[in-house]
Amino acid sequence: MSPRLKISNYVIERLSNIDTNESTGCLYGLMYDGTLLVVGLSLELFENEKNTYRQFLLNLPAEIELCGVVRFGETLTTGTTMKEILQDVDITDNPLVMIVNEKKEMKTHFLVHDKFEETKYEVLSSDEMWKQFLHVRLNTILPLSCEATISGVKNILQNKRKKIASGQVSFHIDGTSVYLFGVASDVGLTGTSTEATIGELVDSMSPEQPKKKKHNTSSIEIVPINLVLKTTKDILSDKLVKTAVKMMTTQRKPAFCISMPLRIDTLAMIHRNTKLLDLYTVLVEAACRSLRLLESVLLEQLGQEGIGDGAGLRLPETFHFLPQEIGHFITRVVPKAIPDESMEKERRLLHEQLGLGLTRPVFRRGNAYADKSGGRLVNPHEAIPQQPTKPDVTVALVRGRYTYHHYMQDNFNDDGWGCAYRSMQTIFSWFRYQGYTTVDIPSHRDIQQCLVNIGDKQSSFLGSKQWIGSTEVMFCLETLLGVQSRIIFANTGAELQSYAHDLVHHFQTHGSPIMIGGGVLAHTILGVEFNSATNDIRYLILDPHYTGQEDLSIVINKGWCGWKNSDFWNKTAHYNLCLPQTKPAI
Amino acid sequence: MVRTVYSPEYCLQYLEQYASKEIFVIGLILGQSTAARENVIHLARTPDEKSSESASETSYVLDKIETKTLLNVSEAWVADHAKHVTRMLPGGMFVQGIFITSDEDIFEEPNSFSKVKSIVNHIYKAMNANQYMFGNCPYSNERLMLHMSTSTKVLTCKSIEVGAPAKSTVIKPVEWKFLPKPQQWQRLDCYYEFDDVYPVIVKKSGISVKQQFQQILESAHKTIESSIMFIDGELKDNSEVLESLFKKKKPKTNSKSVQQELPKSMNVSLFVPFENSLPETVEYLECDGSIHFSGVVSSSVFMYPKATVSETIAAVKQDIIRSLASRFTMHCDALIDDNLLPEEKVCFNEPPRRVLVPVGALYLCDYLFPGEAPAEALLSVRELLDLKITEADVICDVETPADTSEFDALDRDASSEELLATPQEASQFMYITGICFAMFVLIVSIIIHYYDGIVKVVSKVLSK
Repeated sequence: MSPRLKISNYVIERLSNIDTNESTGCLYGLMYDGTLLVVGLSLELFENEKNTYRQFLLNLPAEIELCGVVRFGETLTTGTTMKEILQDVDITDNPLVMIVNEKKEMKTHFLVHDKFEETKYEVLSSDEMWKQFLHVRLNTILPLSCEATISGVKNILQNKRKKIASGQVSFHIDGTSVYLFGVASDVGLTGTSTEATIGELVDSMSPEQPKKKKHNTSSIEIVPINLVLKTTKDILSDKLVKTAVKMMTTQRKPAFCISMPLRIDTLAMIHRNTKLLDLYTVLVEAACRSLRLLESVLLEQLGQEGIGDGAGLRLPETFHFLPQEIGHFITRVVPKAIPDESMEKERRLLHEQLGLGLTRPVFRRGNAYADKSGGRLVNPHEAIPQQPTKPDVTVALVRGRYTYHHYMQDNFNDDGWGCAYRSMQTIFSWFRYQGYTTVDIPSHRDIQQCLVNIGDKQSSFLGSKQWIGSTEVMFCLETLLGVQSRIIFANTGAELQSYAHDLVHHFQTHGSPIMIGGGVLAHTILGVEFNSATNDIRYLILDPHYTGQEDLSIVINKGWCGWKNSDFWNKTAHYNLCLPQTKPAI
Repeated sequence: MVRTVYSPEYCLQYLEQYASKEIFVIGLILGQSTAARENVIHLARTPDEKSSESASETSYVLDKIETKTLLNVSEAWVADHAKHVTRMLPGGMFVQGIFITSDEDIFEEPNSFSKVKSIVNHIYKAMNANQYMFGNCPYSNERLMLHMSTSTKVLTCKSIEVGAPAKSTVIKPVEWKFLPKPQQWQRLDCYYEFDDVYPVIVKKSGISVKQQFQQILESAHKTIESSIMFIDGELKDNSEVLESLFKKKKPKTNSKSVQQELPKSMNVSLFVPFENSLPETVEYLECDGSIHFSGVVSSSVFMYPKATVSETIAAVKQDIIRSLASRFTMHCDALIDDNLLPEEKVCFNEPPRRVLVPVGALYLCDYLFPGEAPAEALLSVRELLDLKITEADVICDVETPADTSEFDALDRDASSEELLATPQEASQFMYITGICFAMFVLIVSIIIHYYDGIVKVVSKVLSK
């Protein structure tokens, strides 16, 4: 029997927007409860042996597997590559073949006994997907020590994979007493009932969670897990070898060896109803995917000229990315301290495989998904209830993540003078999160120092409580980040009205937060809403004058982040806007 | 409250046996102290110093050794005994103090008492030399001094604080009780497995087997200390009492058979988390080979059933480390060549393996070198524990000696690896053989071709 079919909303959106010369692509999905859910796709750009969909799969969370093929065209023709790909589908006996024609009409077929059977599909909305699925994130550090050769690295990593797959490891769900055991133990898990699901466990871990979830439905749940290795043997096992400890020394000609802490950081995407007992094999697979990714980065380095002997080998570091338009995690491993700028080639390939534009960074370190934001609120505006879309009304918002910087943070009292500094920090955080930079967010003093350095201010400015305005923000962005800004000058608050189009255009093309200052207080503009019928304009404001705790509900309910009408601006005061511009880059 | 120590009744007979002969005897008190109760498991007389040894060490002493008295006991000798006995103790058991049978009152007679103090402190210091032996009980610094007077047969026990400044030593009375019934013990077993490969990093000074074992010991200690322990497959609360773990399970099994109060043994499993102790960089080192450290340490600990889970965990961890340290020490003491990288390509170090020896209701252990028979264990049990057991009592199969075939297989692996490692050498050899063969053929054919000529020349030369 062929499975039921669901396709994630993200995949549908991507397929309807995709503009490619490729004729084929691969579909990735996962099985749950007799249903195949398609969550991702890649374009067939696998030109050489090294870049196969098998390699690409390693970048996806465990449980997501190759599930079929998408063809761009009118008819259902099967080429040889397509056949080869379909043969590699292990997740289901009935691989999926999707047809997307010029008009972006989509048809789905299951391959049943070598025949295509057209089938219906259901679209799974993103909200629904994040509600039903969660991620587990396995973190552990394996000490790695081996000869500094390609074969040395290959052997040791194969051994590590064997060890993890041997059933000797146990997984521990952080913050609980739940341990999952492998075949080397007589029980599957301890600390909870054998029937428990991961969803139940997560709910029991934080009883307040359900309330919060109502507030912010799109929150992604990640369950942290660590690994422990069984070092004792079961006495009852008949395979027990009881050879006493011994040491064998093998002498070799002087050789070079490397030793490093290999950090496994890997994800798996699972349905909330997955039984904890079934999680074990998922985690083993996740760990093995991670080891393969780490291996490929180590081997690539060893194969490179100059560091062929391993002397300049860099520690592989793992980053998880959740690009807005992709809708699933993509994991990348990159050598530590190699600047993003010198790895553009790899990113370009990934952009092309995923059908992403080449205008802005998606896979730089700064773009990585981070649960940590130093305690600051990330994108508070997303918690504002959305208005139903109306005709004639254009809404343009900040694109991507930023952190909310406001008065009194960092144990620093800047009440009454630091608003523009804080607004600048919010803008800076946006540039960091979008991957444009890895420079740390500057403190008030850093900003003052920068302005003194470029000669804009006297040295007495350092450590003072003087205000800064839009031009200073522009200078700093240019000096610290190389970012150019456009300055808009409005003689009165009323005159701002005439720049509505400029603001809409700014958010649509650049998407960066705007700093507004001038005669009065400084604010951050995160978006505009323009009604072309009434010429009404509303502004999404993030207010840096907030002095309270990092409490999302206060920030939203008291309007520290919210939509403001034109009368928010002082009709008689003058205003300066700093619109940070982005350059195409990946 | 006065500290109370519980001892099996046979210890009383043991003391009386020496006291009635009116001879001076000194020995060690072995036992386990838990928060719930302090138990003595055995008293072991310190063997007499061998005359030949003492003669060579202190040649000025008269040939005939005088009757042994407390004052001429060598502190180092008793401490040495304690070190050797500690190797035989499972984790959670310690040398708790000393016993003496003599006619003088060791607590009243100042010279005797200062000698006793000196012995106890000497043991303490000697035990501290190797932290991985866990020679000194980590929970208390108060050692027992048990005395039975040979004249009155009166038993007195006191405790003395060790490692403290001499003048402020605290002496406390201790109540010594004999148990009419044998003490029950909860046995816990596990096999701890090692399977690690390390690079050999030879510094300029070279590296010895001893140093390498020390490094292994350090890393094993760190790993084992950080490990999580499960008892019968479950994570237990640290404060729970061992006995209660069993009682909870009891209803299931009780109905079927009337068995012992306690299960025969509980299974322990250890899981090691990987923690980041390494620096966050790639280290790049020159190495001269690799070390494969593998095999098991069998561990059987015996706990007072009212001991807590945390006390049990500590005992198991001590046991594995202590056993490893004991083997390494014994192995290194017996080594002739301490060089880790001798001439041979592959070198094998096989420390002695553990065997169990029965003592009262529980088992202590001993170590057998490869090729040694169980009878060797009888010897050390008699010497060090003053106990007579038969060869059949020794449990030899908790660990097996390293298989020589395994060694051969490893050796073959290594040698084939060698061949693989140097393919140029191999082909060079083929090349040279080939040339030699060709030369040989050439010479032979020349000889055949010019045979007649050569024969003529040779005969001419000869005829001359």
